[in-house]
Amino acid sequence: MPAIADRADVFLERFNDALARSADEPTWLLERRKRAMERFLQLGVPSLKHEEYKYTDLSALADGQLLFATRPGSAEAALPSYAAGGGSDQAAGADQQVLGHVPQGARVQSLAEALRAEPDLVQRHLATIADYEDHALCAVNTAFFSDAVVIQAERGAVLDAPIQLVFGDGPKGSLPRVLIVAGRNSSVQVVETYAGSGAYWRNTVTEIYAEENARVDHYRAQVESLDAYHTGRLQASQQRDSYVSSFSISFGAAVARNDIGTRLNGSGCECSLDGLYAVRGNQLVDHHTSIDHAMPHCNSHQLYKGVLDDRAKGVFNGKIFVRPDAQKTDAVQSNKNLLLSDQSEVNTKPQLEIDANDVRCTHGATIGQLDSEAAFYLQSRGIGADRARNLLTYAFAADALERIKVATLKEHFESLLLNRFASRES
Amino acid sequence: MLQVRNLHVSIDGQKILRGIDLDVQPGTVHAVMGPNGSGKSTLASVLAGRDGYEIEEGSVTYNGQDLLDMDPEIRARDGVFLAFQYPVEVPGVTTMYFMREAVNAVRKHRGQAELSAGDFLKLAREKINPLGMEADMLKRAINEGFSGGEKKRSEIFQMAMLEPKLAVLDETDSGLDIDALKIVAHGVNCLRSADRSFVVITHYQRLLNYIVPDYVHVLSEGRIELSGDKNLALELESRGYGWINDDVVPQAAAGV
Repeated sequence: MPAIADRADVFLERFNDALARSADEPTWLLERRKRAMERFLQLGVPSLKHEEYKYTDLSALADGQLLFATRPGSAEAALPSYAAGGGSDQAAGADQQVLGHVPQGARVQSLAEALRAEPDLVQRHLATIADYEDHALCAVNTAFFSDAVVIQAERGAVLDAPIQLVFGDGPKGSLPRVLIVAGRNSSVQVVETYAGSGAYWRNTVTEIYAEENARVDHYRAQVESLDAYHTGRLQASQQRDSYVSSFSISFGAAVARNDIGTRLNGSGCECSLDGLYAVRGNQLVDHHTSIDHAMPHCNSHQLYKGVLDDRAKGVFNGKIFVRPDAQKTDAVQSNKNLLLSDQSEVNTKPQLEIDANDVRCTHGATIGQLDSEAAFYLQSRGIGADRARNLLTYAFAADALERIKVATLKEHFESLLLNRFASRES
Repeated sequence: MLQVRNLHVSIDGQKILRGIDLDVQPGTVHAVMGPNGSGKSTLASVLAGRDGYEIEEGSVTYNGQDLLDMDPEIRARDGVFLAFQYPVEVPGVTTMYFMREAVNAVRKHRGQAELSAGDFLKLAREKINPLGMEADMLKRAINEGFSGGEKKRSEIFQMAMLEPKLAVLDETDSGLDIDALKIVAHGVNCLRSADRSFVVITHYQRLLNYIVPDYVHVLSEGRIELSGDKNLALELESRGYGWINDDVVPQAAAGV
């Protein structure tokens, strides 16, 4: 534990408190938490020397203060309007909440409820999909999360509405933990929104287990305070013929790091990992994706688009593993960035490891600027310069936005992009 | 309406226009002809306000205002329209959305109420059908995947929607087959009125059989070397642009 021994006091102290609070949890879970803590103490909060974090400075998180600082539930952190629908009358700013009604065929439970109702299912999947052995931030969440949201879609259930989770201010919301288990032939949509006020560190883990022929559409809308750190891990485990999509919206936070991965464990799986990030000022947004093609005849698609202004930085790293058995893999990866200023920058890198010979893997990355001829074209029709920039920015992101199938969510972020540059004219 | 006086323009230090004088009265159609490289498209671009041109000398006055001092969108709102030689493709924005924004920006500027979605669509249908295009075109991204003819007709559609006072058509006829040319010309002729003027820039006389100009100007090496009525276009057609350089320019230089 030399790596962080001198800075780990807060974590250690808090861990003992956390264990005391979790005393009535089953032994298997306590064992996983202890192991996660052990690994975290060995790994420490990743520094810039860590290859996977070389552009993303998390040193402010190393002493744990930002994670554990008590934050009052603030009414200022109003919920984004798109998340307010669904008839919820719960107050904004609460730790974590499920908005609106839970559609027929789904169960949304707290950790305690799920442990009572479905102990075996929780034991099978919770903290077995997202790896805390090698990922320090996942280890922190696993060691410390105080509650979890366990979502189950019953076998064959096709849910008619998305399940909306919102994580706001408050210590409980700092370590969101979500488990989604989609039963055979089921179909479920989940939207997770993260929003807060002030300076804090939110560190999320969501695990998805998609059974045979299940479909999971997952959205994460990160609109954190511009003083916040946001780190999140989404990891899916897909069984035969399942489909998982992830859409990562990243507009907020001073520093946001999203690790999004899926393992295709059966043949006939498909996944679509997409994202849209828009940052300005000194914001940094980092997406690391990982798709593990373990079996043959699986398809994966990735489209990440970024809009960067001022001195903002973007990072994209896309790993695709094609294992020896994964013949007929079809993997497409694309990362496109629009730089709106001279000082914004992007580091983008595909990382393909291919151990099968009959596969198709393509990747591409672009970094460009607004097309001045297109801007002139719009202006020449009477559209103001700022409005033209907004329209072209929106146009750049349009194909990514098209992949958001929850209408309220799509409209909200469309309008954010369309109004990104304040008009100089009234 | 438009007075161009002794206009000198360069791009990257290279002189393109060398003293253009042009007067356009309301309700008139001026054809500007000339060989490739004579500065026709530069003139169009400068009138519309495209970036990258250096005005070295001269002035352009539009309805009493200094046109060169106005942003492109203000020119458009005040009634200047440029039909692009190469209309730009903008994937991700539908023609409908684009034109509604544009029409409402112009209407707002003119003190008119903005059009509702329904009223806009009604107006758009009225303007698009005479051009041989379907209203479905409005749902497509701006010029994306349009054929050359579709792009040019879309320019005329946009012009009809925006109802400019001064329309500059930059080689709108280039690359059109005769049927498309007739449609485009018909679209222009429908818009001719006592208070609307056109500057029709073309390389070929053929367009002028369908859009009959009041004046024809011949541009050569950045200057208007010759002006006349529609018969000048016919003479050019039979004698070629070489005639200007070989005969007219030397005579002018000699003060004949």
